[in-house]
Amino acid sequence: MWLNNRAKQRKTYEQDGERVLSAWPFQSVLVANRGEIALRIVRTVQRLGLRAVVVHHAVDAGSVAVRQADEAIEITGSTPVAAYLDGAQIIEAARRSGAGAVHPGYGFLSENAGFARACAEAGLVFVGPTPELIALMGDKVTARAFVARGGFPVAPSAIEDDDPASFVKRARAVGYPLLIKPAAGGGGKGMRIVRDGSVLEAEIERARSEGQRYFGDGRLYVERFIENPRHIEVQVLGDSHGNVVHLHERECSVQRRFQKIVEESPSPALTEALRKDICEAAAGITRAAGYSNAGTVEFIYGDGRFYFLEMNTRLQVEHPVTEAVLGLDLVEQQLRVAAGEALGFTQADLKPRGHAIEFRIYAEDPAAGYLPTTGPVLVLREPTGEGIRVDSGIRAGHEVTAAFDPMLAKLIVSGATREQAIERARQALHDYVVLGCKTNIAFLRRLCAHPAFMAGEIHTGFLDAHPEVAAEPVLNDATLQQLLAVAALMTRPVRDAADAVPALHAAMGAWRNT
Amino acid sequence: MNHAFHLLGTEHELWLARTGSGHYRLHAGAADVAVSLAPISEEVHELRVRDERMPVVIAQRGDEVHVHLAGETYLLRYTHNLERFADHSVAEGEAVLRAPMPGAVISVAVQAGDSVTRGQALLVIESMKMETTIAASCDGTVHTLHVATGQTFDRDAPLVTLERGAPAA
Repeated sequence: MWLNNRAKQRKTYEQDGERVLSAWPFQSVLVANRGEIALRIVRTVQRLGLRAVVVHHAVDAGSVAVRQADEAIEITGSTPVAAYLDGAQIIEAARRSGAGAVHPGYGFLSENAGFARACAEAGLVFVGPTPELIALMGDKVTARAFVARGGFPVAPSAIEDDDPASFVKRARAVGYPLLIKPAAGGGGKGMRIVRDGSVLEAEIERARSEGQRYFGDGRLYVERFIENPRHIEVQVLGDSHGNVVHLHERECSVQRRFQKIVEESPSPALTEALRKDICEAAAGITRAAGYSNAGTVEFIYGDGRFYFLEMNTRLQVEHPVTEAVLGLDLVEQQLRVAAGEALGFTQADLKPRGHAIEFRIYAEDPAAGYLPTTGPVLVLREPTGEGIRVDSGIRAGHEVTAAFDPMLAKLIVSGATREQAIERARQALHDYVVLGCKTNIAFLRRLCAHPAFMAGEIHTGFLDAHPEVAAEPVLNDATLQQLLAVAALMTRPVRDAADAVPALHAAMGAWRNT
Repeated sequence: MNHAFHLLGTEHELWLARTGSGHYRLHAGAADVAVSLAPISEEVHELRVRDERMPVVIAQRGDEVHVHLAGETYLLRYTHNLERFADHSVAEGEAVLRAPMPGAVISVAVQAGDSVTRGQALLVIESMKMETTIAASCDGTVHTLHVATGQTFDRDAPLVTLERGAPAA
């Protein structure tokens, strides 16, 4: 099926691709994003024969996405991030460039119901679900209530909005450890684990202040915290004709600060029966919501049970993992759905093959508590080979600044088995060179060699439980000599001083007392 | 004459002696080893230490030598002798508070000329999606505010300069 479906798709383009695409309500797509995802979307838009327009802040004027796009429009803002959050300016850019659709990527405006609505009002097709669904799933409290009403599993919790006066009391009743989350949150921002009742109220206030700042909304809820849970999510896809499929699961348990670093499919944790249950629950939630376009239903999994966490109403960073095991292009599927097409396959057609793992390449120093790093990219050498895909937003000469999220690129590795994928990943990470700005590449390679990771024994607290993975490896004498040799031979004053002494005297220097 | 490089927080002294065209001996600590470096391409070199040969990727920027060796990256910084032996004592009356990590300024609670006491919150910065309060490291007066609300900064950037002294009553 995997190959048949590809062959069928190719045949469709060749035979009546022109006719089908020319009937689409848009022929030009504006990408409202930056970095690796902007480039990745531009490539699919162009492969389909559509025109790709990108918006960019001045600091991104030399980016790979801007170079690749058919048209690039500069947007401005008080900060670079503010420019990418300025919906009115982006819609104006779409109008000026004649774009008929807007793809928001992930982050920025991708889950902003107001922006999706404004696109529709401006006559633009928003590549994503309806504003109503974005709003429903964007509010973690209403999303949770919706899912619980449908009979799907949610973790024990207390919601502030139900009765603010008794919130603290009800939070205590949930039991410890518990997790405080902002109602409007996402991406781990403002979340706090409380293990001890004496600090509950102080932590609630801190979470409220962070929620207020990040989301302009200080409302909270608490949930029972499952120790060492696994994060398992299911990719879903619906069309505007009422068809819904799931595209199987991804496990994203290797995290730091509630943010994913490594994602893979299939999950090494699930039995066939559980895999079926979790995927069908996700498809059921999607169907109940009347959802169209691509989305992800996230679950936490522990002690053989899974609970709904949240639904992301956009393309995920880790979508290439699903693309690799299914042989599909998810951005293409998003565009087809946005154009009003019905899904070209059924659930039975979607048979995953092999194993895929994604590694997020971050500008950060794992040994220093994963602090973000900055600097120029002096040398960039990306790995190549069978089963290797690199989605990158940087090139040599790029300056990594604190202006944006520190994710630079993604390495996606696939193989027939998990073992083969890990083996290929170790080589690819060994060959992946970024010089000038410290990255987590060597850390990821050490992670790949860790026995617990290799055994699939991962959970969201994995890196806290194994601090040795993040620690700077001890420098042995041989390596130190090699490094000092390179530095000495490359540094002008050192070499000049050596070259100034005739070789004979220098040779005598070997037993000279210094 | 000895040279020095900083690597992972440690200063390493070394000197290099030429033994022939392109061939050198590296003297570092107790080690005295034959070394050479031959370019393979613009970025990749073949390093030889004793009889061992290995590929290394190298980039230079000012006094920095960035090295990719066996899957790990390293930064070595050449220390000029002038700098090494210079008097490092800072003007006694000043304390410079620097950014512990790159980020952005969320809010500023003081202005130049304000008296502050040790531990007093001066500004709030955001890094890694978390807030951190920068507090006064001593009693004194705010001499200079180097940043404003909304501004981004790199690691080690000066944020506030304090003039040490007893705070005004």
